[in-house]
Amino acid sequence: MNVQQAAAPRSSANGFGRRRVDRETGARMDNRTHPGKPSSANFGNSGLANGSKIGGVAGPSHDRLIYVLTYLVGQRVEVLVKNGSIISGIFHSANADKDFGVVLKMAQVIKDGSVKGQKPINDIVKRPQTMIIPSRELVQIFAKEASLNSDELMNGHPREKRKDLLIDSVISHSQQVEVERELGRWTPDEDDPACPELENIFDRTWNRNWDQFETNETLFGVKSTFNEELYTTKLERGPQMRELEIEASRIAREIEGEETHDPHLAEERGTNFHENFDLDEESRYSAVQREVDDGRYEENESSLLDAGNAEASGGSFGSVVGRSYSDVLSKKINSEASKKVNSEAQALSTFPSVDEDSQILADKDGHVSGSTDYASQPTSNSPAESSFMDDNNRLDKKKTKDQDVEKSLLNECIDRVASEQAQTSKSEDVHPSVHVKGLPPGATTYDPSSSVPGNKCPADDSSDSAISGKLSSASEAANPSLRPGSSTSSTSECVGAGSVSCGPGLSPSSSVGSLTSEKSTLNPNAKEFKLNPNAKSFTPSTSLRPHTPVDGSFYYASNMPAVPHMHGIPVGVGIGPSFGAQQPVVYNPQAAPMQSPQAYIHPNGPLYGQQMILGQPRPVYYMPTYPPEMPYKGRNF
Amino acid sequence: MDGANGEEFAVGCILAIETTLGDEFEGQIITYDRPSNILVLQEGATKAGTGRNLRLLKANYIKDFTLLGRGEDPLDLKKCYVDLPSIQAREEAALRQAEVEAERIGIGVTSEAQSIYDALSKTLPVYWDKTVIVVMKEVRVCSPYLPENVSGGTPAANERVKKVLELERKRLQVRSPGQF
Repeated sequence: MNVQQAAAPRSSANGFGRRRVDRETGARMDNRTHPGKPSSANFGNSGLANGSKIGGVAGPSHDRLIYVLTYLVGQRVEVLVKNGSIISGIFHSANADKDFGVVLKMAQVIKDGSVKGQKPINDIVKRPQTMIIPSRELVQIFAKEASLNSDELMNGHPREKRKDLLIDSVISHSQQVEVERELGRWTPDEDDPACPELENIFDRTWNRNWDQFETNETLFGVKSTFNEELYTTKLERGPQMRELEIEASRIAREIEGEETHDPHLAEERGTNFHENFDLDEESRYSAVQREVDDGRYEENESSLLDAGNAEASGGSFGSVVGRSYSDVLSKKINSEASKKVNSEAQALSTFPSVDEDSQILADKDGHVSGSTDYASQPTSNSPAESSFMDDNNRLDKKKTKDQDVEKSLLNECIDRVASEQAQTSKSEDVHPSVHVKGLPPGATTYDPSSSVPGNKCPADDSSDSAISGKLSSASEAANPSLRPGSSTSSTSECVGAGSVSCGPGLSPSSSVGSLTSEKSTLNPNAKEFKLNPNAKSFTPSTSLRPHTPVDGSFYYASNMPAVPHMHGIPVGVGIGPSFGAQQPVVYNPQAAPMQSPQAYIHPNGPLYGQQMILGQPRPVYYMPTYPPEMPYKGRNF
Repeated sequence: MDGANGEEFAVGCILAIETTLGDEFEGQIITYDRPSNILVLQEGATKAGTGRNLRLLKANYIKDFTLLGRGEDPLDLKKCYVDLPSIQAREEAALRQAEVEAERIGIGVTSEAQSIYDALSKTLPVYWDKTVIVVMKEVRVCSPYLPENVSGGTPAANERVKKVLELERKRLQVRSPGQF
């Protein structure tokens, strides 16, 4: 039989037929029957460390072989056989016990060894089949780009999952069989004395003896002043290096492996995003995401994404927003209150930008119209939040949002706030004298800012209420206070505030009564902030907690109106860097709507001083900047 | 050759190997299995992208080798976990993919015909019907796949296929002179 088989390939007309193996079973190493072996820590005790390998220890080295073989399963390999032919196929199984035979599926002979040179064009193309290559024929198995550990395996996976999508590389990939010249290795025509190091450079890719910087310096006198630590965190090299590395990679794996609801992130990581697959290609690959996001508010990502996509549909948008709000709210409740506060602060600090001012103004104008706007406010806030880059269109749309949604939001807010009051009130370092009408002016101004996605219902409510509160100054003593709270919704404090604001939300016009019940979240003993015109601008190098009043007393304003919810902080709208920085956001809750624009502090700029609000001796609240220990999870693009 | 080289085949070593068949390559040893006499090498130094090339070579085909250096164990033993289900899934996916690609290949046709088919398939929907290339479900091109062999379909489609065929043939000729 062997002779037969050997003879058959000689004819160039036929490709290799199916080879029969003498010993049939030997060829099959069922991967499934090696369950524990590869995955166990067998390799751990391999005595294969760099020193000489004892040939007799078949265990560890054999294990490694089996490990390698297991990883090869499913990969395309080329098998070189004795007569020089190359068979390409998908590695299916191998027998590694005694002799080494392999089984390839969908295998084809690529190069016929019996015919030297180019494959004759009249060769009949054969259909790929399963081939068994017995060990005596086997010379070499060559796998291109074989991934040997699970990390690489993971990375390779996403590509296979998206079969429905035909991307360019896939399409062009299929044309690989295109006839191409056989590439031969380049050899210099004659030994060129000008390039003596050629051999050294390319032969040993891991041991190059050429340092470009040295060469540059000697040849041109150019000194390199590159210091890596200028651009990145200094690596602490030392005995703990290894542990740090392990820890870092563990964290990296954790982050990359964590569940995300952002479809883009999910796609990159190869996980199935929980979102339904209704996302068309456009939203998956080309639409710009309009909401500001950070990993903590994953639940909202999808909803916000939808919101962003459904920009045109105001109603649905509102509902989405509402949902996101409640989600966010619940999420906020769940997370640590202090963190929320900080994140809130962060949001506040990062959110406002000068550009917003105009929008805010516009918003305020709209709001000023009265309680009717109130209804629309909450929803408008949410959209604002979702799209960090507010544009006036959105503002307009916001005004047309569903009032029902808002109402439901408010209801939820109230519920949640009630439950969280104790928690939030304690956590707050600074309590805005919410009772005071204070917030609203500032709050209103922040209203549009509350477009920060993170802002939850409270924000909406607050902003709305704030605005209307301002308008109807007198009666709404409670309202304003509530409003501000709502605007600061973004943090847990917002929850507290939200509850406050939620109250009024329910009954826009009246309200005060309900407000009073919620006031407990606010710190009645909080001092008011006195504007200090001489305050220096704040530089974000120090710690974050606003425990230490910078000047006068800064209070954490849970009532921050429309403070941009930090939800969006991390969003890379340029605010990213300020993530770690503490930027106080100052806003004047009492300022008239028109004045508020200046209350917004540019998150990145040390405009602290300028932000001092205008004119009115109203308490100015500022949001403490984002606490450094707040872990930023997730990435926003 | 086996016995003498038992000591040298230590894990992590970098060798330059020449085989009896004339191939030359360099790689870092991952493992050497005595019973089956297989040497597993890893080519490529940097962990770029999806890994490096892997070679499993039967040691008795090594004609000559030189030790270039010693390196660390290329396998990170702590990371060596095999996720069987995912590997099997990968295999299935690869098989599916290969089958899809195999559809392109005609059975029993010359490689010239296959080249023409591939060229046509870049711009036109084609599939094989035994040894006949069917374009746009109507136009058929049979052996020897010259413009004269184009038949069927509407005159417009027919013309178009003829033209494309001519162009592709010309291109193939330029690319691989002497073949066509």
